[in-house]
Amino acid sequence: MTALAPQPTTAPRAGHAPPRFAALLPGPVAGLGALAVLLLWWRTTPSVIGPAGWLTESGRITGLLAGYGAAVLLLLMARIPVLEHHVGTDRLARWHAMAGRYTVGLALAHTLTILWGYTLTSRTDPVTQTVDVLHYPEMLKGTLGFLLMLLVGATSARAARRRLPYEAWHLIHMSSYLAVFAAFSHQLVLGAQFVASPLARVFWYALYLSAAALLAWYRFLTPIVIAFRHRMRVAEVRVESPGVVSVYVTGRRLDELGARAGQFFRWRFLAPDLWWAANPYSLSAAPRPDLLRITVKAAGRHSAALADLRPGTRIWAEGPYGALTADRMESGRALLLGGGVGITPLRALFETLPGDLTLVYLARTPEDLALREELEALAAARGARAVFFVDEPAGHRLPLTASSLRRVVPDLPTRDVYLCGPPGMARAARTALREAGVPRHRIHHESFEF
Amino acid sequence: MSAESSLRLVEPAMGTVFSFDVRTPATDEIHAALTSAVAWLHHVDALFSTYRPGSQISRLGRGELTVGECAPEVREVLDRCRELSEETGGRFSSTPAGRLDPSGLVKGWAVERASDLLYEAGALDHCVNGGGDVQTRGEAAPGRPWRIGLAHPADHEAVAAVVEGRDLAVATSGTAERGAHITDPRTGRPASALLSLTLVGRRLATVDALATAVFAMGEEAEDWLRSRPGLHAYAVTADHRVWSTPGFPFAAPLGAPCHAV
Amino acid sequence: MRRALITTGTTLAGIVLLLSLKPHESTLHNASAPLSTGDVPGPETRASQPAGPTATSGNGTFIGDAVQTEFGTVQVRITVRDGALAKVDVLRYPDEDRKSVAISRFALPRLTERTMAAGNAQIDTLSGATYTSEGYRRSLQSALDQAGVR
Repeated sequence: MTALAPQPTTAPRAGHAPPRFAALLPGPVAGLGALAVLLLWWRTTPSVIGPAGWLTESGRITGLLAGYGAAVLLLLMARIPVLEHHVGTDRLARWHAMAGRYTVGLALAHTLTILWGYTLTSRTDPVTQTVDVLHYPEMLKGTLGFLLMLLVGATSARAARRRLPYEAWHLIHMSSYLAVFAAFSHQLVLGAQFVASPLARVFWYALYLSAAALLAWYRFLTPIVIAFRHRMRVAEVRVESPGVVSVYVTGRRLDELGARAGQFFRWRFLAPDLWWAANPYSLSAAPRPDLLRITVKAAGRHSAALADLRPGTRIWAEGPYGALTADRMESGRALLLGGGVGITPLRALFETLPGDLTLVYLARTPEDLALREELEALAAARGARAVFFVDEPAGHRLPLTASSLRRVVPDLPTRDVYLCGPPGMARAARTALREAGVPRHRIHHESFEF
Repeated sequence: MSAESSLRLVEPAMGTVFSFDVRTPATDEIHAALTSAVAWLHHVDALFSTYRPGSQISRLGRGELTVGECAPEVREVLDRCRELSEETGGRFSSTPAGRLDPSGLVKGWAVERASDLLYEAGALDHCVNGGGDVQTRGEAAPGRPWRIGLAHPADHEAVAAVVEGRDLAVATSGTAERGAHITDPRTGRPASALLSLTLVGRRLATVDALATAVFAMGEEAEDWLRSRPGLHAYAVTADHRVWSTPGFPFAAPLGAPCHAV
Repeated sequence: MRRALITTGTTLAGIVLLLSLKPHESTLHNASAPLSTGDVPGPETRASQPAGPTATSGNGTFIGDAVQTEFGTVQVRITVRDGALAKVDVLRYPDEDRKSVAISRFALPRLTERTMAAGNAQIDTLSGATYTSEGYRRSLQSALDQAGVR
């Protein structure tokens, strides 16, 4: 591979989990950056005088931190492989959500305090002062950026997300690129810290340009490179059961992607209804050099449209992502515990994980047990165990408690547990597993709730 | 066509905006003098601002300080206020309506001093405009005197007349922006027979202070000015007529009429 | 929700702490321009607030207190001759390489047709009744200044 080729995520040595501390490293690093920003304020501010001074300087501090936060938010979503692999996509998304809320709050505080401080200094009234500020250079763009940021923040609140269709939320969220771009110039032109210190300007440009470069490469260009290199297309669409389809993806040299069972890709199907989003779906079978498979339950407009995909449709895919792989195994035994749609990565792992395997699959009804025949066939072929539980009809339900889990899997505390399912089920399962004596570091779970 | 400035700066202070325009090629010394001039303006603001309860002038006004305890700048300003008051028969006063407020002199005086700082550093050709009160030294370009427009009191976008000269100080008093804030100290009531009055002289401190006083004179202004040949005046009356002193340094017309009142 | 409150509270506390650690008043920091005492005529007196003996008239050089302005700390030296201010020297201003942030704080508005009016009359500056900073922005003078700056 040439240096320009997007590197597949480097797999650590089999049998060793990615070092746990690596997951905790980005936090302190980001914190150091924030300290550097505060230091910049400290060095360029001789004094703080009077209420106007306190307010204006608070505005400057919060503005600097918000600007820094925006760059960090971009970096978290840039799909940088080393972050995706060591921290995990789901954790990155959660950090992004938390940092996003914080940054929007900082931006709001910045706007209010600095306007108030300016009002006191100029001895006018808030309305006059705000109108005045809108005429400063780059401030129309800055205001646009701020308002967009508020919109993105407001629509990302849980209450709002529940009401918005995913597509609408996604579109609004994408405007945060525009928001950051619009707000950038006012920081450099009006920021007292940047007027005073050329070094600060260099630092700021470096921060944003590297975030932009990483974004451009890993999030936008890499998929295109992968598309040309591997030419993924839809080979076949098969209905597994009502509402559940499998999409078979073919291409060239797919093994060079380095995908492993348990991982997922972000798939952009170049079909009229589907081209605008790159949605994550896990591989539902072990990856082959010429074939990948995903299995999707029709839950929204996007997933429902997959059933209508025509063979030959081109695909831009990014990945592989995800840390739910064989590398995390510590013992020689595993329990794959899945609920509903969470069965897909577990189905792939069931095919390839070494050692003594037990698969426990929970669903609402027998019809919802997707890929059931395959799982039973795999269990027979590999000498593994697959058990199924449903909520309806009554009498076949597995309560998610420590005792019932131990009854099904007597040697549970000695096993690695791969857990995948809807948030409520996963939470309950986690609690039960811990109670049953499974140590935290042996519960392997990916959750995309944020 | 405007001549090349070598140095320009805009600085807010004293609740208004000061514009610096240096035509002499800028040296390090002139740069430093400009920074000093700006610092000087803020210094004056801190000492003399009647909006700041902690300024020396405010404290002096409340009796917390005696004149002897104030900085020499304060004493100088108050001394000159006294002289000007005598000169104008009380129409200039540092205590309009009973409060201690030498603002009528302070801004022009501060600009004049700022201009001196620049001049002494070698900026022989420069213009300092403090919120509409202008002190120029030298010329705008070799062979070309400074051209100072007089804002039309009723229309922010129009120029009523243009003054031309070297080493001129121009100050305008009027009701245009801040409203009828100019009080006749003798009557305590607004002086409003004129919409605006512009005085042209050599040194801005005097010119600025007198502009306020002469504005308050209203109809009596023309008589008073006759006794001061070194000063020129241009006035716009409340009914939109203009008059000016003989020999007022109007710029030679360039073709476009610029009296539009 | 609780986490949000804790985060907000911590941030607020952090900012207040940072601000409170900065000086809030007049502090004499290290002089960049040394005060040369040997070459000025007349007695040198430090004028302090509020009390302090000062020369009543005549000649003298007075070094004012460092005055705290929103611009920063400023200190002037006044030379008085025959009872009148003869010379002003600024000894201390906050930061030599700090460009005046006026241009960034009070933006000059975009060039409009107004500058044509000023341009036709070919004036260098404008005298008028005192404008506030807001009024400045709307005035022809700001257009003139901007034409010179850009």
